[in-house]
Amino acid sequence: MLKWYKEAGNNSDVIISSRVRLARNLKAYPFSAKLSENQAKEMVTKVKDAGLHLQEKEEKKYYSCNVDMLSDTEKTAMMERHIISPLLIAKEQSTGLILSEDEKISIMINEEDHIRIQSIVGGMNMTEAFYLANTADDITSELFDYAFHEKYGYLTSCPTNLGTGLRASYMMFLPALTVAGKVIKLAEELGQYGIALRGTYGEASKSLGSLYQISNQKTLGSTEKEIMDSLNRIVEQVMKQERRQREYILTNGYDEFEDKVYRSYGVLKYAKQLSSGDAMTLLAQLKLGADLALLKFKDNYNIHELMMEIQPANLQCQLDKNIGSVQRDKYRADYIRKKLPDIQ
Amino acid sequence: MLCDKCKKNEAKIYYTEIINGEKKEQHLCEDCAMEYSSFQMGTPFMNQEITLGNLLSTILGNYYKENSHSGEHAEKELHCKGCGMTYSEFLKEGRFGCVKCYDTFKKVLEKSIKSIQGSDTHTGKKPKGFETKTEKLVKELPELDKLAIKLQDAIEKEEFEEAVKIRDRIRELKKEEMNNA
Ligand SMILES: [Zn+2]
Ligand SMILES: [Zn+2]
Repeated sequence: MLKWYKEAGNNSDVIISSRVRLARNLKAYPFSAKLSENQAKEMVTKVKDAGLHLQEKEEKKYYSCNVDMLSDTEKTAMMERHIISPLLIAKEQSTGLILSEDEKISIMINEEDHIRIQSIVGGMNMTEAFYLANTADDITSELFDYAFHEKYGYLTSCPTNLGTGLRASYMMFLPALTVAGKVIKLAEELGQYGIALRGTYGEASKSLGSLYQISNQKTLGSTEKEIMDSLNRIVEQVMKQERRQREYILTNGYDEFEDKVYRSYGVLKYAKQLSSGDAMTLLAQLKLGADLALLKFKDNYNIHELMMEIQPANLQCQLDKNIGSVQRDKYRADYIRKKLPDIQ
Repeated sequence: MLCDKCKKNEAKIYYTEIINGEKKEQHLCEDCAMEYSSFQMGTPFMNQEITLGNLLSTILGNYYKENSHSGEHAEKELHCKGCGMTYSEFLKEGRFGCVKCYDTFKKVLEKSIKSIQGSDTHTGKKPKGFETKTEKLVKELPELDKLAIKLQDAIEKEEFEEAVKIRDRIRELKKEEMNNA
């Protein structure tokens, strides 16, 4: 079964993925801040069983595990692939995870809320992402009595998630706006519309690989559809701006840019050591070059997949042993050299 | 005091943050604080809600300070019967302890939820089978009253054919009642 990041998506030159998160809590248990360790354990056992229920209803394979029993490397690798959140890793209590085989749906147990249903699909496709999360929510809700308030909607541990409990977000690739130094200003503008922009790997001001997360901030008072519609309207605008900026690069400095892209390919293909920062910058350059058809790979190739695979913990997992950062940089260079397809 | 950012509205939020080891203090109005937080939260791998939660508790804290002048200062001693969370504990954490907390701290919460969320009433999805208080009430009404509500509803929606059907059903029931009596 194809993982989400291997699928070709809509507008994938600018939008890497669409993600939906639903926050839910069980009525019968205290929220995270007041949950005892015993209750946390009970919760993980109970909710993990929902995996079997989902598997039956959706006819798709689900795995489940106790996250706190995994190694640090395994946990971090899952975080780098956006399956679990940093907060879940940091929790000292019992935590759990239900994950669909294609990694499109993950359900975190005992994160900030008892249940956090998350779905990711490739490209711009919030409709599918919401459909998946919503269906999983319907199925899980058959098993548990959710905390729901007539006026406030789904009750969450933090009142900022109240109501729909919905966070919709796009992972966007904005290299041209980044180079033009327009991201911080954009983030300010989006803030006025209740939309947050931040770096996927790092801060908005210096995100690695020009990857950004754009998401709604308000969760109460609008329906799920209204929230996603207004996010979509804004993302369309950002997409337009990014594409306009890319055209600008092509018309004003084609040669220079072409040279840069090919140099990036050269370094990635022949370097003996690559830090993850350098690799991300070069890969972003390469992705932009490929998106603009400046350079064509012999095989269809998804650069973003490589961006995830070369994150420190993911590399470590492939190696199956702990290595120092120098060795890791060597291994990273090796890995990229092997994976990078030839150009036409 | 006026807001440090827009210099127009009154500053209600005292916002402290630490950037590169340096402490920066700002007095912001609610609008600016909302905006400010939205792009100030880009710390790597931090859950953005954490910061927003802290901001919320700052806003709540300010409401509390304001209200305590007007004699409403029972809030601080207030604690949740469900989980034992106190109001000051909530201000510190920005998180509630259980479902009942929402009712316990309702009074102070209402205003600030509106200023953070822009609304205080949910309009989205409901869990399957969830009944609102009105729905529950209606369910327990005698058949005739239920029909009267349905009739009213049909007339409002201009579904006149349906309204006629309901009216006839009401007449039938009334006749039956008369006969029984
Ligand atoms: Zn202001
Ligand atoms: Zn409570």
